[in-house]
Amino acid sequence: MFRQVKRKTAGRRNFEDVSSSSSGDKKGGADLISQLNNIYQSRLTFYDIPPLEEITLEEFENWSIDRLKLLIEIESYGARSKSIKDIEVALRPLLLKYLPMNGNSSDGKINPTLYQERKKDHYSHFILRLVFCRSEELRKKFIKNEGILFRIRYNLLTPKEQEDFLMSNSHRLHWKFISQEEKLANFDQLYNASNLIIKNHLLQEGIGSEITNEQVKQHIKFKENFIKLPFEKVTNLINSRSIFLKGGYAYIPTSLQLNLIVTEFQDNLNTILLRTFQTLPRLEEDDRILPLLNNLGLNFSNIQYDTNNFGSDDTNDINAQSIQTPEILQHYPLCARILQKQLSFNSHLKYGGRQQLGLFLKGIGLNVDEALKFWSQQFLKKINQEKFNKEYKYNIRHNYGLEGARINYKPWDCATILAKAKPSKDEYHGCPYRDLSVNNLISNLNELGIEDQHQINEIMDDVDKRDYSIACTRVFELTHQKELKASSGAVAESMHINHPNLYFDRSRQLERSMEKKKEISV
Amino acid sequence: MTQDIEPPRPQVVLNTFDTQSQTPAQKWKPSSADMQHYYERLLPFRYIFQWLSHSPKATKDFTMREFAYEHRSGAYQRYNSYESQEDFKKSVVSANPTRFEVGAVYTVNPKERRNLPKNALKPISKELVFDIDLTDYDDIRTCCQGTDICMKCWKFIRVGSKIIESALKEDFGFKHLVWVFSGRRGAHCWISDARARNLDEGTRKAIVEYMDVLSSMQGKFKKLKKPYHPHVERSFNFLKEEFIDIVLQDQEPWLTSASTPSDAKAWTQIDELLSFIPEKSLQSELRNKWKDQKSLSTSKSKWEDINDVAKRVLKSQLQVTLLNEAKKDIIIYYMYPRLDVEVSRQVIHLLKSPFCIHPGTGNVCVPFDPTRNISNNPEDDDYGFNPTTSPNLKQIQDELESWERSKSKDSDEPQDESKRLADYDKTSLKPYVDHFAKFVNDLIKDELRAKREREDDSLDF
Repeated sequence: MFRQVKRKTAGRRNFEDVSSSSSGDKKGGADLISQLNNIYQSRLTFYDIPPLEEITLEEFENWSIDRLKLLIEIESYGARSKSIKDIEVALRPLLLKYLPMNGNSSDGKINPTLYQERKKDHYSHFILRLVFCRSEELRKKFIKNEGILFRIRYNLLTPKEQEDFLMSNSHRLHWKFISQEEKLANFDQLYNASNLIIKNHLLQEGIGSEITNEQVKQHIKFKENFIKLPFEKVTNLINSRSIFLKGGYAYIPTSLQLNLIVTEFQDNLNTILLRTFQTLPRLEEDDRILPLLNNLGLNFSNIQYDTNNFGSDDTNDINAQSIQTPEILQHYPLCARILQKQLSFNSHLKYGGRQQLGLFLKGIGLNVDEALKFWSQQFLKKINQEKFNKEYKYNIRHNYGLEGARINYKPWDCATILAKAKPSKDEYHGCPYRDLSVNNLISNLNELGIEDQHQINEIMDDVDKRDYSIACTRVFELTHQKELKASSGAVAESMHINHPNLYFDRSRQLERSMEKKKEISV
Repeated sequence: MTQDIEPPRPQVVLNTFDTQSQTPAQKWKPSSADMQHYYERLLPFRYIFQWLSHSPKATKDFTMREFAYEHRSGAYQRYNSYESQEDFKKSVVSANPTRFEVGAVYTVNPKERRNLPKNALKPISKELVFDIDLTDYDDIRTCCQGTDICMKCWKFIRVGSKIIESALKEDFGFKHLVWVFSGRRGAHCWISDARARNLDEGTRKAIVEYMDVLSSMQGKFKKLKKPYHPHVERSFNFLKEEFIDIVLQDQEPWLTSASTPSDAKAWTQIDELLSFIPEKSLQSELRNKWKDQKSLSTSKSKWEDINDVAKRVLKSQLQVTLLNEAKKDIIIYYMYPRLDVEVSRQVIHLLKSPFCIHPGTGNVCVPFDPTRNISNNPEDDDYGFNPTTSPNLKQIQDELESWERSKSKDSDEPQDESKRLADYDKTSLKPYVDHFAKFVNDLIKDELRAKREREDDSLDF
């Protein structure tokens, strides 16, 4: 595809050549074009065939940015640990805005508008593959978010379209729908094996808060479609005995089918991204696409805390002493503040707290020597150096990748923190917006200078809705009002906080840009 | 005939025999010469070869297959492989191990692994295997402990094999499976379908976990999901028919009398039983009743007590339903087969070959049919495979000897007929070899048919 653009500048147009170089396929270009028309038949696709038509640089950029915006939103909702259902509702208007995908018109024809929509989807997906294939972390994000997008879109299909989609992909899915007769003949077994997952699925669909067993039976009898496929495909459902097996086939209710398709889609994407990564060097030939791609990549890492940059040289003022000064402490998010407070108070933290705070400090640039100094100082009020060395030194060095498996551990992001076990008595890790009692949280907010009742109510509303990272973002905005106003435009305005270190970095960044302004004005 | 003066072998052989406490003089153990003789004349190499080759001829499935020897010295020698049936027999005879084990088929010839880069030796396929061992039943067995077995506790294996076999056939669609007596106190199931041989470890693990119903009962609530999954329901239906016989009558795990000390195994078992009972009041009511009993109180009477007391104590229909479900769980808990997960999961795991001799007992590891008795001994027809009378090396040696003695007596008979008769056919090993041969034949037929179909398919292109 990128070669194609280059050729265009060179004034050469040769479809035969393009197709053989970009896909390695020996078939003629015309064949592929007709295949393309075929894949545009459906508004959902596994993206098997790379785009071959020429597009303008402008389209290249705009289309990919639009898709990127969508993925960023998905990532952001995901970080706020919303359910798929919630993401779906929230995303629908954005889908219409950035990547509308309308169903075929009633005569089944693909009119030019539809064709253009699908083309945009197709191309933008392939462009972003180039952006996201470059590191394990980017690949993971891309696969996750494209998977969610795929799932949402599948749910938007009509039942007929879903069936057609499955039919046209049957070669990869190895499954077939069972007949009504077969379903009824095995009705009891199907119910006994899968009633729980079907029930859960119905609950998730929001059909009601209570579903009786009789309702589940009726649903299976009249609505649920089952597919059967070789049991090797669904090992994760076999071991829990949550599906019916017969004669070497697993019987999967429709509610689980989507999981299978999405898994297939994601597995497929993973292989392809790796392969794309291997052929990426060829791209370096093009001096116009590369900056564009780099730029797109940056856009995405903006919304996630780039954990690869910690310890860079502009953070050399971080050491065991400085992190106990108000100048540095003021940039801490509430979770880290509380951990530090409890550490100073008790001269000790339990494992979860040590991990969360330790890795956060690593993230703000505290190196391993300073970390050992810091922790031993904090603990020495209670234990001697020998005990510290024996019991805690290894653990700290382990976090820095100097012991054991030598993994260079990264600071926890909000999703990780929220996924860990809640703190029990005498534990202070976790997310304060989730784990603190209302009164305790309010007094902590007061300490941060948030005393306006209206503002506190807003934060509490977020907490009630379990939007903890939104609450945290709100606190950031409230505590940095002055800086944000002063630097309007310099920093992306309402950036969502999904990582404690992002909170810290943004806070320092704002402070620095303020200082710079002062210097200039002086 | 020596059979008539057969010593009380089974009882002797099957008595306490664990490596620490045994007194070697107590029992017959095969000597090196016994083994040599057995490998040379009796072990049906041909069928083992065909079984692992999946063909009458040597295929890669055989030549790339790992075999391991356990030597008399205790040394364990892995990565043997053979070119042909003749090479197989010749090597085993000359190595004369106490037993040999079957491993996986590898990407290269295991024998030649030293000449190849280390990562060249990768396992490709192996039969799916299951292993049930009576030692895992020690907490509920009262008849025997450790390495001992008797006809009472073998019933656990009998019903267990029925459960495993029906799941493998009906649920997973496997056809070619064979059960093999492990020689002392357990049984192995080998599944030879091509599909089973090619499973990856993740899928093998999933299958064992599917079968391993008991581990879903561990944890706080000791309950299985209701309604039962079809596999659990089918297993329950097998078990409930035998519960009275095997558990209540044979094993008597809850048998107490006034003199039974409170730390006895029976009381531990009763606590175990009570922990299943959903209603706390019923639990304590039962416990008190049983503690106060002065006379002998059997397991059967205790089992009946549950319902009797429940009639008084339980108030609502829901409580009754829960109790009935708990009673089903108890039946499963006491009788469901206990599986060795690792044996089934690992592709490279080695397992003793059928027809080996158990070095400690001299018993032949005979393939058997869990559904019917094939020993030609009508006494066992109601019982099925009887491990206490199954062929033993000493016995079949004697049988062979007496057969030859009787032949040489009337040596005027034509010789060529006896020549054609394989040596194992002259002993009580015969029905077991026939059983295995039929299994191997069916397997090979299927393999050849599948191979032909593949070839036909490729011709279409």
